[in-house]
Amino acid sequence: MGFFSKFRKKSPWILHYNTGGCNGCDIEILSALAPRYDIERFGMLNRGNPKQADILLVTGPVTKNCKDVLRRLYLEMAEPKVVVAMGACAHGGGIFRDFYHVENGVNNIIPVDVWIPGCAPRVEALIDGMVEAIEIWQQKSKEKEYLRDHENIIKTLGVEDDD
Amino acid sequence: MINVILTLLAPIIGGFVYGIERIVKARMQKRVGPPLLQPFYDFFKLMDKRPLMIHSLHALMGIMYFIAEWFALAVLLLGNDLLIAVFFHVIAVLALVIGASSVRSPYSVLGALRELMHMISYEPLMVLMVVALFLVVGSFDIRDVLAYEGYPILRLPLVFIAFLLTIPMMLQKSPFDIAEAHQEIIGGPEIEYSGPFYEALYTGKWIEYIYVFTFVFLFGGSHYWLGVLLVILAFLFINLLDNASARLDFRAMVKFAWGFLIPMAALNVILLALWQ
Amino acid sequence: MGTLVALNIIIPWIAALIIFFLKKDIITNVLTFLMLPILIITAYFAYIQPHPSLIETPKWLDLLVSIYDFGLLSYFFYQGIIRKNTLISILATIQIIFLIIVLLMMPHSQTPNIYVDDITVMFYLIVAIIGVPIAIFATKYMDYSEKGKHSFVAIVVWFLGVMNFAVSVNNIEWFFALFETTTLASYIMIGFRGDREAINNSNLALWMNQIGGIAILIALMIFIKYNGVYHFTELLKHPEFVSMAALGFLSLSALVKGAQMPFHKWLLGAMVAPTPVSAILHSATMVKIAPYLILRIAPVIKGTLLAKLLIITTGYVFVVAAVIALTQDNFKKILAYSTISLLGLMMLAAAVGTPIAVTASLILIIFHAFAKGFLFVEAGVLEKVFHVKYINQMRRLIERAPLTLMFIFFGFLNMTFVPFGTFIGKWMMIEEVSNFLQHGSYILLIIYVGAGSAFLSILYMKVLGISVRKAHGIEKINWVKLPKTFNFVSVWYYVWLLAITVFIAPFIVDFVVPIAKSIAGKPEIYATGLTLHMYDSTLYFWQILGALIILSLIHILPYFVKFKADVVHPYNCGEKFPRHMETWNFECLAKYEGYFVAFSIALFVMVVVLGGGLL
Repeated sequence: MGFFSKFRKKSPWILHYNTGGCNGCDIEILSALAPRYDIERFGMLNRGNPKQADILLVTGPVTKNCKDVLRRLYLEMAEPKVVVAMGACAHGGGIFRDFYHVENGVNNIIPVDVWIPGCAPRVEALIDGMVEAIEIWQQKSKEKEYLRDHENIIKTLGVEDDD
Repeated sequence: MINVILTLLAPIIGGFVYGIERIVKARMQKRVGPPLLQPFYDFFKLMDKRPLMIHSLHALMGIMYFIAEWFALAVLLLGNDLLIAVFFHVIAVLALVIGASSVRSPYSVLGALRELMHMISYEPLMVLMVVALFLVVGSFDIRDVLAYEGYPILRLPLVFIAFLLTIPMMLQKSPFDIAEAHQEIIGGPEIEYSGPFYEALYTGKWIEYIYVFTFVFLFGGSHYWLGVLLVILAFLFINLLDNASARLDFRAMVKFAWGFLIPMAALNVILLALWQ
Repeated sequence: MGTLVALNIIIPWIAALIIFFLKKDIITNVLTFLMLPILIITAYFAYIQPHPSLIETPKWLDLLVSIYDFGLLSYFFYQGIIRKNTLISILATIQIIFLIIVLLMMPHSQTPNIYVDDITVMFYLIVAIIGVPIAIFATKYMDYSEKGKHSFVAIVVWFLGVMNFAVSVNNIEWFFALFETTTLASYIMIGFRGDREAINNSNLALWMNQIGGIAILIALMIFIKYNGVYHFTELLKHPEFVSMAALGFLSLSALVKGAQMPFHKWLLGAMVAPTPVSAILHSATMVKIAPYLILRIAPVIKGTLLAKLLIITTGYVFVVAAVIALTQDNFKKILAYSTISLLGLMMLAAAVGTPIAVTASLILIIFHAFAKGFLFVEAGVLEKVFHVKYINQMRRLIERAPLTLMFIFFGFLNMTFVPFGTFIGKWMMIEEVSNFLQHGSYILLIIYVGAGSAFLSILYMKVLGISVRKAHGIEKINWVKLPKTFNFVSVWYYVWLLAITVFIAPFIVDFVVPIAKSIAGKPEIYATGLTLHMYDSTLYFWQILGALIILSLIHILPYFVKFKADVVHPYNCGEKFPRHMETWNFECLAKYEGYFVAFSIALFVMVVVLGGGLL
């Protein structure tokens, strides 16, 4: 915990990713950005870019197509990072549970730090979850975080040059 | 003396300008907005991230961009020739573009190429603006411009308007935030930078604010109150435009610059040259 | 002085003959290498001798030149017939007829035929320092699966001698002979490989350049008819009486030789020849005759309608050639277009004709020669060692050819960026021209210079961007061992450029300004230490050094700096990467090329008709 760690809570940047939900949660996130709730008050920005984001805000049940995408996004984020799973689908699939095309929640793919319940959660719940996430985030260090089966995943997700 | 201070403290002052801008922008949207020191909080937070990079060249170019941008500002404020300062800015663009196109990310490469489109839009106009100032003041020296008794803005109204509409291209503001385009290509040239390396670009942008608004300030001549007024008006206008307009296509930007802004500025210069 | 000039001209001719007839590897290599010190020394001695000086030539030489002219033109006529190209034959016939008329009209003159002044000596130095290394480069280049090494090197060396001769003549009829000789040399060199494409392009070069020859002959006729003189020195003595029509035609020949649009095709055609040909055509010789010619007549045309029309035409070419270069994908073609573009800028500066503009033109000539020679040498290395011809083959060059890429990077930086000579030329132009903005053409000039340099910058950045692209981790940098000759030539240019750029202020003040002074009067340029002053403007040394350091870091540091940070994938929305990635080729601009050329024809006609006062 150095000098700079104190400033973490003042500027959490968010990467929002919908893994195949119904967009209800996303609408709530948008309304959090809008004048009524204005989460930029807390220095939060929706960056849309894993390279510069601190909090990965995932909605939806994680369809099979999204699985690798979600992993890549998680790997591209620089530590310290926090994953927030938002909405019922993200908790084990919700209404989509055990469908042929879903992975039953975010937790099966990447480690989750904060759960925000609800279908869809209210904006107040979202902000509450974010505050929770920031607290967890402040405890984390710059150390590299490993996924389950990290080396293999890196190998399968790698990028090749064209010749 | 003040120019030395401005040069040395450029990243800090630029940070404050950026902080004010975020508040102004938020107020224009009926939001509260972040605190004034928010850019610095971001800065400190980015220091604390784990450094990740694509490859060393890419990370290095981000740092070179920052250095070149700062040096261009130093040339503008401490040197004496405005034209040289305009050309120095190209070095910063070089570092940014080489860095951005050195990675195999489509967004980054697209952003780099769009950055080039920005350059062909504003570069000739900057040259023309400097020449127009020379026509009024009789010198390319920034000190002579700042000691000029008259009001350059009164003689160069069209050039000033043209430059005002060029600022969004230089500072990546809507409707001409084509290279950065956060909703479309997610920051363009800056997308692949993360953590401490992104910091170089982030602060480089702040320095660019000072660089651009210095040129606006010159239109006040020796009347510094007028210069400050112009800077404030330009600042508000740019943010209003940023909030009120949608992004244009890059073709529209180049067409606008070449079909409208440059002829307008040239007309002003021609008429003034004939008048004198 | 006479001996030195003769040595400068004759040494390459003799060396070429020896190389051509002996055809021995060791002699070719050693002799071309020896040419470098010898020519530099002779050129240097010519430089320190007092000049300008007029040199008398024996009477028989006059006769010999006339006979040589007829021989040359008959050769062109013959070539036109055996290659079944009527245009060449017709143009050759026209020239023969005009030449007869000129010789019949020509009054006797006491003025000496050789005139050596500062520009001439500057060209001697350029040929020695920039031209000879290309011949050295050619000796190794031709070893890579090419036929006819010795004759090729001989022609290259001979070309240098021709160039030295062309810039020292005073008599315009002699100048015509040398002009046509350079045409001949380029014709032989472009057609050197002898395949269909080479022959077509050499034909193109021949007929286009013959138009320039015709223009010179017409100018000569008008000069003799109205002024009774046919020497450059005589023309400059009475600037007010000189016929504008003749000057118009003379500028036309310069535009043709300088490959300005619409006559740019022949220089592009030179690309099919071995790369040293392009290097020699673009840097030290041939096309440099164009700005040379304009500089010769600059004091006479200064401020006239002709000069303004020349400014508009060449400035237009400066911008448009840079725009078209964006649409090309062949590396040598890109370089060729940028030469056309910068030649436009040089002629534009020369046509403005004020002391500072002339200085700017000279600086551009010198630096362009260095940088283009450098770039074409590297293009040759890429072609032969790395088998790269197109810019989409240049991907990951940073790993495959690090040293060559570094040199190319430096060459590109020289073509537009801040502390380098080309930038200083542009800077001087803009600041000088800002003093007389009440003429519309000069405002146009400023827009041209601003726009053209922006277009050229984005061209170079685009090419460089492709060659450094890599998915992640530039680790396996492969330092290929290049032949010593290639390295010697590259380092030679690199060191010269770096040295001149650091000492640019004394270089300009002590070397370029005296030359400009002899042409157009003393420019307001002086130096204190390493800082350059012009009027009130100052280019401080800390600015030069700062920019140089930043740019050096940008092009050298990537090979040596290794950050200790973890490597991550590039962002692609988390999706799998596409196999291929291209760059913009500005297809949207390519369709306007026809319009650009059409407009340039209109400008050309305007230069001759309005500028020459033919209406």
